[in-house]
Amino acid sequence: MTSRGTPSRFLKSVLQNGVGRYVCQLKRISIVFSRKGQSSLGVRDFIEEGVVDYAKKNPGTVVYVSPQPKSLPKIVAEYLNGNIREECIKNKTSQEVLEVLTKLTNQSGLDVIRIRKHFHTDSPSIQGQWHPFTNRPPSVGPISPQHPRRKED
Amino acid sequence: MRTEILSPRQWATFARSWFIIDARMQPPGKIANICSIRLQGKHKPIYHALSDCGDHVVVINSRHIAFSGNKWEQKVYSSHTGYPGGFKQVTATQLHLKDPKAIVKLAVYGMLPKNLHRRTMMQRLHIFAEEEIPDDIRANLTEELPQPREIPRKLNEYTQEEIDAFPRLFTPPKDYRMK
Repeated sequence: MTSRGTPSRFLKSVLQNGVGRYVCQLKRISIVFSRKGQSSLGVRDFIEEGVVDYAKKNPGTVVYVSPQPKSLPKIVAEYLNGNIREECIKNKTSQEVLEVLTKLTNQSGLDVIRIRKHFHTDSPSIQGQWHPFTNRPPSVGPISPQHPRRKED
Repeated sequence: MRTEILSPRQWATFARSWFIIDARMQPPGKIANICSIRLQGKHKPIYHALSDCGDHVVVINSRHIAFSGNKWEQKVYSSHTGYPGGFKQVTATQLHLKDPKAIVKLAVYGMLPKNLHRRTMMQRLHIFAEEEIPDDIRANLTEELPQPREIPRKLNEYTQEEIDAFPRLFTPPKDYRMK
């Protein structure tokens, strides 16, 4: 689809996160896997070794580990603004699962859609935005040409 | 976070001004250059060709423009009616007598960028042959632009004291005959 048919948003941060304190936007993470499935092999290895370290490193995120029979392994991430993202981790190694988790941790919960402009500022003008009467001498009625705008040394 | 509405600021930035320029004793090319800069909006720091940021320009006294050199006799304005044998060439004098606004108008038209915005910019140019302008245009004016050419003073505009005070190279004798 064209970018006009798909949704888009402007660049923003969630409540100026990072200007003061940085708050991790990831609220809850649920690792869904199956005990005996070949696709969840990497996930099971990750749960054996890496998940506790991950949970300790991110104290603001709640980690749920839910084994479900005959299910495809996936990670469900819930963010503070209510967005839910699901990532499929089928046939991934333990290292790759950790990479997916760090990617989800670093994201804010804003939608992953086309960003219209990759820049944004809340103060676009410091000295004041130009308008036709900046740098014009004050006058009653039209400005007469006897006030020539010469550069004064 | 915004604490104020941003739209009035945008309206102020893109507001259209009205300029007036007196073309008495001025070369029409220089007048046209000044007009074209203001009509395009190139005098503004917010200029962009697609922004439609041009201003209005009022030219008065276009009947009293002054070509330099022999252009009144030598400059030729050509046009073709479209019919065979319809190629017309008129000198600047003939054109000026027929229509005192045409020379300035053609000069500005040739100096504007050759795209579809040109006609819109020409609509924002208001030329008057004499000093009188309508009241609603006069009410809109914001600035009078300085004239590009300094008008030299005629001899009858000098006072006798200034003429006497002017330094002379030598005083000719009473019976000296000037060629």
